Amino acid sequence: MLRLLATIKKEWLLLLRDRTGITLLFAMPVMLITVMALIEDAPFRDYQEVKFDILTVDNDHGRLGRYIQEGLQSSGQFNIVDSVKGQPVTEQAAKELVNAGEYKICIIIPQGATGAIVSNANKIVNDISRRMGMSASLPVSTRKDSLNVSVYFDPAAKKAFKGAIHQALDNFLTQVETGLLMDRIKLQLKKGDIPETDTMMIQLKAVGLKEQFAGESKQVDVISNSVQHNVPAWSIFAMFFIVIPIAGNMIREREDGSLLRMKLIPGSYLAILAGKMLFFVGICVVQFYLMILVGIYLLPLFGLPKLMLGNSHAATFIVAACIGLASTAYGILVGTLFKTPNQALNFGAISIVILSAIGGIWIPLEIMPPNMQFIGHLSPLSWGLSAINNIYLRNMGVMHILADVSKLVICAAGMLCIAAAIEKRRMS
Amino acid sequence: MTSIAVHGLHKTYKGALEPSLKDLSFSFQKNAIVGLLGPNGAGKTTTISILCGLVKADSGQVNIFDFPQDAAHRETIKRLVGIVPQQIALFPELTAIENLVYFGNLYGLKGKGLRTRIDEYLQIFGLEKNGNKEVRRFSGGMKRRTNIIAAILHQPKLLILDEPTAGVDVQSRGMILQFLREYNKQGVSIVYTSHLLEEAQTICSEVAIIDEGRLIVQGSPSDLIEKHSACGNLEDVFLHYTGHAVRD
Repeated sequence: MLRLLATIKKEWLLLLRDRTGITLLFAMPVMLITVMALIEDAPFRDYQEVKFDILTVDNDHGRLGRYIQEGLQSSGQFNIVDSVKGQPVTEQAAKELVNAGEYKICIIIPQGATGAIVSNANKIVNDISRRMGMSASLPVSTRKDSLNVSVYFDPAAKKAFKGAIHQALDNFLTQVETGLLMDRIKLQLKKGDIPETDTMMIQLKAVGLKEQFAGESKQVDVISNSVQHNVPAWSIFAMFFIVIPIAGNMIREREDGSLLRMKLIPGSYLAILAGKMLFFVGICVVQFYLMILVGIYLLPLFGLPKLMLGNSHAATFIVAACIGLASTAYGILVGTLFKTPNQALNFGAISIVILSAIGGIWIPLEIMPPNMQFIGHLSPLSWGLSAINNIYLRNMGVMHILADVSKLVICAAGMLCIAAAIEKRRMS
Repeated sequence: MTSIAVHGLHKTYKGALEPSLKDLSFSFQKNAIVGLLGPNGAGKTTTISILCGLVKADSGQVNIFDFPQDAAHRETIKRLVGIVPQQIALFPELTAIENLVYFGNLYGLKGKGLRTRIDEYLQIFGLEKNGNKEVRRFSGGMKRRTNIIAAILHQPKLLILDEPTAGVDVQSRGMILQFLREYNKQGVSIVYTSHLLEEAQTICSEVAIIDEGRLIVQGSPSDLIEKHSACGNLEDVFLHYTGHAVRD
């Protein structure tokens, strides 16, 4: 126990002496989380939350044009732009502006579009009226060719973005067409024996959609915000970066001979190693909770949502400690495997970036291709993130994190065994 | 009784073309100050590494105070032996006292007893005013002296020093050698390696010259000088046995 405690104290003193190092150890993860949560906020928001300028050329000057413009404006997603530099936008100018990337979208409403919709609605109403034995007297155009509302996208626009806009516009067109159809039906019905004062209310939507809670979480949209993904994900990433100071510490001890002296002293070196590990696991846990505090208190100051914690604080602590254990063991393995700080630094840093990329830290595993998802599930960072998500998003407790936590512990034990084998081989 | 007895030691490092030790055998008497001498690459550091259990010999036998250097006796031997490595095996960012307290704790020493012992040794080595200074701010001589204190905190019966006076000034060297003489008088056996043969001639009661992994000659410096009439000092004897060719 004395060896273990003495080693923890020694590591603490070494850390305290390196004031820049200690500042970076805690300040950099805070900066990382803040920056990542802020820049990844937009992609995590639904398109409904993002406002785009949308060029519109209304050649219709009718109800459809007005409906589309008002509908788009009232949705809150779009700023309708129909003139540039005080001049009404022409179809040609609009296409050029979009092609130049100055606007993301341009909508051209064709001449006669409203007439075509009204005519189509009239035709439907006339057909229905005739079948019901009523007179069919609404005017119908004889025009045969179909009209299209044209949409131009910036060539650099992403496929998902285009899809979302298509969906939104399609929705508006349907609304306009349905609205006009309803108006025609009302008009036709009022021609009968219904008094003028009778206000007919036709409610088209009888059944709506409502999102419900699948688990115990009271925050159904919590998973879709940037803070809820980025704070735990980048916390795990930052914790794994403890590999760099640990590996540096191990190599320095080997180079300056202090490791040699420790090995010459009677007693198990394991107690010294355990003290070192315990200290760095403690540092990782402190880092984790510091970053959680950032998610709760700092990020909301930047207009981001507050990090929602689950109910099981014990489970959170266990996961943080096990992530710390796995990252510390990885640091010891890297420090044992490589002979120079440069080798360890390059390998350690790049391997963590790769493990984090495949482990769902940068983008959720669910949206990766199936084969990458399979590889991603082998990354210790994905186990940590999965356990945290179980606690924070699904409100689960200790029993539900055991599988991921066991993987982290087994992985840590495996890495320590490999490090011991390398060291043994080196001695022989 | 012998402090160290080595018989038929062989060691070839993995990937090395030549063996480091070839049938090395010697024994040193208890309570002696023995100089283990040899040119670069002679096998001195390998021998010391095997003596203290850091490196395994391919074959041969090592006994320290009659305990065989094997897994069963390794811990006992570690308690009996103090090693001063050639490197300054200290944490540069810690103060001398913090280093010594840490290594003392690893030996199982603690509390007032440990602090008293550290203060005593700091006094002996003239470091009492610098105990709270970080080791990285020490001069070469101060580092060497602290390095020695770290190896004797547990009061070993055998002290092995690998070039303890390399790169230190005359005053520090004098202090270290004086300490070794005094320490030896307390019944501690001392084995040390050095390239400073004049120093070895002054301090050692016995020297063993090894080269190419084998023992070349062993005896007291005066006997060896006397044996070779053309040699005026230990350096001449050394050159007589190991030649004038430069070793890498």
